Amino acid sequence: MSPAYLGFQSEDYKICVVMVGLPARGKSLIAGKAMRYLAWVGIPAKVFNVGSYRRHATPQPAATFFDPHNEEGERMRRAAAEAAMTDMLQWFQDGKGVVAVLDATNSTKERRKWIYETCHKADIETLFVESICDDEDLIMNNILEVKTTSPDYKGQDPELAALDFRNRIRNYELVYQTIDDDEKSFTYVKLINVGSTVIINQIKDYLSSRLVYYIQNLHIKPRSIWLSRHGESEFNLSGKIGGDANISERGEAYARKLPELLRQSGVPENTKIVIWTSTLKRTIQTARHLKAETGYEKLEWKALDELDSGVCDGLTYEEIAEKYPEDFAARDEDKYNYRYRGGESYRDVVIRLEPIIMELERSENVIIVTHQAVLRCIYAYFMNVPQEQSPWMEVPLHTLIKLTPRAYGTEELRFKANIPAVSTWRGKGSSAKHQDFPAEGSEPASTAGTH
Amino acid sequence: MDTLLTAEIVANSPQFRRKSSTFVDAIHDLPEKADLAPAQLYSTESGRLFHSGRIVIITVGLPARGKTHISVALARYLRWLGVKTRIFHLGDYRRATIPFGEDMPEDYFFVNASASSVLLRQKIVRKCREDIYHFLNHENGQIAIYDAVNPLASGRRSLAKEFAKHDIETLFIESWCDDERIIEENVRRVKISSPDYVSWTPDDAVKHYLTRISSRIPQFQTMEEKDLNYIKMINAGQRLIVNNRSFGYLSNRIVFYLLNLHIKSRRTYFVRAGVSKDLSYKSDSSLSEKGDDYARKMTERLLAHRESEKQEMIERGDVGYELRPLKVWTSTRRRTVETAKYLYDKGYKVRQRSQMSQLNPGVCEQMSERRIRAEWPDEVAKHELDPYHHRYPRAESYHDLAVRLEPVILELEREQNDLLIIAHESVLRVLYGYLMACNAADIPFLEFPRDEIIEIIPESYQNEARRIHIPDLPEEIIPASPEDIKIPVPPSGVVSPMQGLGSPMDGSGTPQSGLRTPSGLRTPREPERISQQHVEDVV
Repeated sequence: MSPAYLGFQSEDYKICVVMVGLPARGKSLIAGKAMRYLAWVGIPAKVFNVGSYRRHATPQPAATFFDPHNEEGERMRRAAAEAAMTDMLQWFQDGKGVVAVLDATNSTKERRKWIYETCHKADIETLFVESICDDEDLIMNNILEVKTTSPDYKGQDPELAALDFRNRIRNYELVYQTIDDDEKSFTYVKLINVGSTVIINQIKDYLSSRLVYYIQNLHIKPRSIWLSRHGESEFNLSGKIGGDANISERGEAYARKLPELLRQSGVPENTKIVIWTSTLKRTIQTARHLKAETGYEKLEWKALDELDSGVCDGLTYEEIAEKYPEDFAARDEDKYNYRYRGGESYRDVVIRLEPIIMELERSENVIIVTHQAVLRCIYAYFMNVPQEQSPWMEVPLHTLIKLTPRAYGTEELRFKANIPAVSTWRGKGSSAKHQDFPAEGSEPASTAGTH
Repeated sequence: MDTLLTAEIVANSPQFRRKSSTFVDAIHDLPEKADLAPAQLYSTESGRLFHSGRIVIITVGLPARGKTHISVALARYLRWLGVKTRIFHLGDYRRATIPFGEDMPEDYFFVNASASSVLLRQKIVRKCREDIYHFLNHENGQIAIYDAVNPLASGRRSLAKEFAKHDIETLFIESWCDDERIIEENVRRVKISSPDYVSWTPDDAVKHYLTRISSRIPQFQTMEEKDLNYIKMINAGQRLIVNNRSFGYLSNRIVFYLLNLHIKSRRTYFVRAGVSKDLSYKSDSSLSEKGDDYARKMTERLLAHRESEKQEMIERGDVGYELRPLKVWTSTRRRTVETAKYLYDKGYKVRQRSQMSQLNPGVCEQMSERRIRAEWPDEVAKHELDPYHHRYPRAESYHDLAVRLEPVILELEREQNDLLIIAHESVLRVLYGYLMACNAADIPFLEFPRDEIIEIIPESYQNEARRIHIPDLPEEIIPASPEDIKIPVPPSGVVSPMQGLGSPMDGSGTPQSGLRTPSGLRTPREPERISQQHVEDVV
């Protein structure tokens, strides 16, 4: 609601985050993550990837295309940038967005000036984010790990692709201009060698400061995050929600199998994994054998505790439907925003998980043993699941989910322990009972990319 | 025990500072009971958050670069987040050690100081450091802020090494300035009010002060130590350079906060919204006639007050003094927006902020306190146990409100103009609680009667509040106003957070009950200012 009756303007600033940097500096990774983070906290955001506009015209260009003396290449790249910019301005004008991320090298002062002026005219703030890296190992690592999976090199020999890519970077290096004092009136962040030095200049609004804070927590080292619910609990068996129950016999069997399941999922040699649990018994018991067998460090987080169901804690869905029929209906209506009496909503959980997400971004390999609602929220962050869907996702018991961030999306693998457990999933508008997840969804895709 | 520490030094040392009233920022007091902080998301058994270990934040910078201001602001924010934080101003220890009236030796900061000066320096630093260790090791402290000049790289390295030996991380925060105007403004504002400069013109005093600094501290090395964790703030936050060796969650969060902080001085005013026609929370109705009358009188009083402040500055000799521009923030609710309309008509900028809408009363909407007590006896009982965290069915708690207001708080820090905030009493309570470092348990009880404008005056050492009376308002709209939600809070006297927090040392009769003055006892009054004299740190 924006009462216009007094002619006051309510705040509605728009920000264009402009990525700057040579290829293989983690720009797309930062851009994609920033977009997902914003969406997760409820700020509409979108990435405009200039490369994908260019790819449209020349799907698999050779390195010579990127030679600055190749006029045709230069013209096409310019056209791609303009097309991306036009779409972005339109997107803002349609009132759809608050933050746009312009993902391209934007390697010259001239290009950046053009972006700044174009945005300025449209009343859009700019925030330049430059990623600089002079660590050759890190760059090559990035090329081999990430770039050879880029759509530009689909179906090509990885070795040749890497070589071609190195040549492409050289062409960019010829014309690359880092952000310097000529541009000191711009709002910018310079990340040097993955954030070991950060220069932050002229931050003019709160949202930009928050984005900088988030970006500062990111790293580009390869890693995976494993997610698991606790093993089946005694409350799961009786269909009760909440509480602090022990795990059942079958839950204990899952706890015993977890170390093996983790190994099966693929843990690179000499990898240290940190175990995170909530402070509730069922997650601690589930991680018990894993900790004992591997000797991994373990942290217990209050913030990972299950969504607080307030007065409904310890009741079954049937009892809730009977005792609080209005609440039961209201929850189905808008599950994301519904707050249990004296308890929490999914939105509340997202707010309390924000420090966890920041910590997760700063960490490397982590296995999180937590609860259904909390896991849904964390999963939604990594896989970019919209708010209205995330509370309805099926996350079965006794299943290990492995997420591996890639520049072009997050890779997901699921590993079933094949230990039976009750289902704790309930469909929207259905009766007050746990039920089996519909068959077509029961074998979730082994890999899922987000873009 | 060090024999050099006389009883007098101990008595003067900052641990024995008096407790503040609610009119003085409580940032230098430590709450006696372990209590959840206003915006703390969860508690841990150790009392420390986020498994981040203990950190000493060490300030670096010449005098008049805003180090103390940054330390105090940071401590306020960290405590708000629930991180147990305490500031150790080395200057306080120096003043406690060097007898009153005596100046410190000329060569105190010299690299090649005389033996007696070196000894004195060591004695002062040792006492301060002992207190830091005690706080971190025995009082469950998580962050100690060590506020000193720390001019040399060698000294900073040895500090980092020494704390590392005790398993304590270090984070250096340097305030570096090459913009002479910023330095001069800072000197003018916080340094030259000392008795030494009584008969000086401000310009001469500033010059003298700066000359004195450069002769006293001839060597200063800006931070370039790549092996240390540091944040360098350049020209009051125009640019930040972060050297990240091993930043944890809190260090990154501190960068986030510093991105929003500036060192300029400005005023914040708080007023209530006027009364509206319809009393319901959901209806969002317009101001009533009385509400409109209030809006007009509030505007007149505020502008008159600002004008008289300006005249006062001019009379004091600052001939060209200009008021900072005033901005107005309201919530998006009609009542608060309309309360700003006289200011808007006069050309003041008004901004609506959706986060500033009042505490959602949930099921208690439009219920009398008696009815709430009758219908929700269990909830009332729970509420009385913990009025800050408890939420009535469908309602928000003050804690929810504090978390929701965090963006507003960072923007409050970011704002460089004077600011008038027109909001519901619940929102004012939380924002006031942040600026004055109130204990979370006290926040639900703060009172903002409609006939008062609350003005927050920042000083580098702490914030102060004063109340400006708005005359000629009808009695019935002043106290807990009719449109207010009657969420019962414990009757006064049961939980009485402001009382018994110690009495002022000077016996001046500072009202210790703070904002909880019973409305019946209030008499018309002039703006009053309750101030704690802080001896200026003149090097």
